[in-house]
Amino acid sequence: MKLATKLLLFIAGSKLVVAALFILLLPFLVDQIASEYTNYILKEQQEKVMDIVAKNGIQYYLQGEKSYGSYTLLKEEYIALEPYTDKASLDTIKDTKRIIEGDTLNYRVLSHTFYDENKPYLLEVGKTIASIHQYNQPLQRFALYVLISLIVFTVLIDVTFTRLLVKPLGQIIKSRLVNRKFPFKEQEAKIKTSTTDFSYLDESILILMRQINEAFAKEREFTANASHELMTPISILQHKLENLLRDEDLSESAELGILETMKTLDRLKKISSSLLLISRIDNEQFVKRDEVNPVVLLQEILEEISHRLEEKNIQIHLDIKEELLLKQVNHDLLFQLFYNLINNAIKFNKENGTIEIFDELLSFNQYQITVKDTGKGIAKAQIPFIFNRFRKSDQAENPGYGLGLAIVKSIAAYHQIDIQVNSEVDKGTSFRVIFNLFNDA
Amino acid sequence: MKVLIIEDEKTLAYEMETFLKKAFYVCDLAHTFHDGLEKAQVNSYDFILIDLGLPDGDGLDILKKIKKSHPEAAFIIITARGNLEDKITGLDLGADDYLAKPFYLLELQSRMQAIARRKFNVQDELLTIGDFEIDIQKRLVIYNEQEIELSRKEFDLLSYLLLHKNRVLTRMQLSEHIWGTFADVDYDSNYIDAHIKNIRKKLNVLASTEWLETVRGVGYRIRK
Repeated sequence: MKLATKLLLFIAGSKLVVAALFILLLPFLVDQIASEYTNYILKEQQEKVMDIVAKNGIQYYLQGEKSYGSYTLLKEEYIALEPYTDKASLDTIKDTKRIIEGDTLNYRVLSHTFYDENKPYLLEVGKTIASIHQYNQPLQRFALYVLISLIVFTVLIDVTFTRLLVKPLGQIIKSRLVNRKFPFKEQEAKIKTSTTDFSYLDESILILMRQINEAFAKEREFTANASHELMTPISILQHKLENLLRDEDLSESAELGILETMKTLDRLKKISSSLLLISRIDNEQFVKRDEVNPVVLLQEILEEISHRLEEKNIQIHLDIKEELLLKQVNHDLLFQLFYNLINNAIKFNKENGTIEIFDELLSFNQYQITVKDTGKGIAKAQIPFIFNRFRKSDQAENPGYGLGLAIVKSIAAYHQIDIQVNSEVDKGTSFRVIFNLFNDA
Repeated sequence: MKVLIIEDEKTLAYEMETFLKKAFYVCDLAHTFHDGLEKAQVNSYDFILIDLGLPDGDGLDILKKIKKSHPEAAFIIITARGNLEDKITGLDLGADDYLAKPFYLLELQSRMQAIARRKFNVQDELLTIGDFEIDIQKRLVIYNEQEIELSRKEFDLLSYLLLHKNRVLTRMQLSEHIWGTFADVDYDSNYIDAHIKNIRKKLNVLASTEWLETVRGVGYRIRK
């Protein structure tokens, strides 16, 4: 999962949890507030009454009557003053039932006892429970709406900001890591960001890429120089041996010895010239200016190689349907690429085996040529290594240098050709060579 | 025939000289660009072998300069660069052939003979081997005035062996002559064997091919 997605999920998740908690607590909170507030109002009213009594005396209310009572029209609130008979003084607020004009209603009642002119009185201030909670529902709803819109608002801000924050990381991944083919050619400019972690990451990747490029360049240079420098001593040895062979007095056994030595020298020569070829491909010393018709190319190769088929009585089926031209390629290198693949298909094939070569247009841009044999196949664990230099298959009857496929790999990389290998032991191997017809590079 | 070898690697030059002398060529050596240019300008040669990697100049420049004043000379370019562009430029500039180092001296000799045939109209007499006659120019193998059809590669092989008769030629020497250095990465190729088998099959119908010997593990030889 992407970092940006994770961050967003986390932010949204944590907000939801908070919101859910709040929504669960909301009725209880509103209840609590309403009841606290009611108690406070009741006490205020009590104080007002007590003030008036202290100022004007209790007769201000009683007007000579024994007791006083007043309630609002819908009996939501009432005040009552009456003489008090009990000895214990009262100063409480509690929910209780009162009967007013025949209606039994639930009230919250503040009871307060006091003395006026040495007579005890009881003051009761009441409020119906229903009226206490009458605002609960609208309040809750209102709070909920505010909460939801706040959450939506903050999530929107979070989304925008997280995107902005994580954007450099996306750029780093896109420009440095996705679809990068080795060697990394262009060194792009640094990615702009004020986040130090990202700029550090970006710089480190750039440095690493540069180091890899340098190491690769060094290796290429070494391979080129070493194989090139070997050519002169090999030439000298070869010429010396050839001149030795010209000696008329040479004994048969000496001649054979020299010939054996020449064979070994040939091997050395082939290795260095293959390495030289690889390094020259890697150093892009071949021009890609040819246009190649796959059918013609493959027929040329088959003509070259056909005499080898007789050894194992191998049948080759060439089935190229697409009429197209491979553009901006090097003919000789493509020849070498398919030559090596077909050569391997013969070399590792069985007696009376077959080789199928066929093509397929994968998409408007991708063209695939498959070379499929019925040979001994390659063990799955071996497949990742077959393109390495000097690979030797353990079971090879006629070992080469292990450079044939390394050359194929270099040619493919140079032409942005993708090569896929499928193989099953004892069933055969197929190499799929995939061309990008419209190369941007 | 006179040959000028322009090659900075002295040992190589000496070996080439030794080889060509035995094949009855007269050789001059030059180890630098200037020496080579001077010798080529002053003397006249039938063949000029130019190594492209000279320390004090590009061998192609010698070719450019001498080609005009000595159009009769045949030029063979030798390079260790193995670069196809060099080959094309060289041939464009009028070189007659091109050899990539390391090459076989036998190959050099046969290239020189081919050039001589082409350029100096040197006629090979009809070669005979066993009961067969071989016409290198017309590329024919004849038995009792009857033509035998060999493929292009089979003929190349046979004529190359015949050119260097009484010598064992390794499979590598033969395959480099026929396919060049580019195509094949297999070092001990059996390609040659298949061709030899075909040649024997085609000729044996008519007469013995005992003269075409297999040297086990090494290669082939025509004994005459």
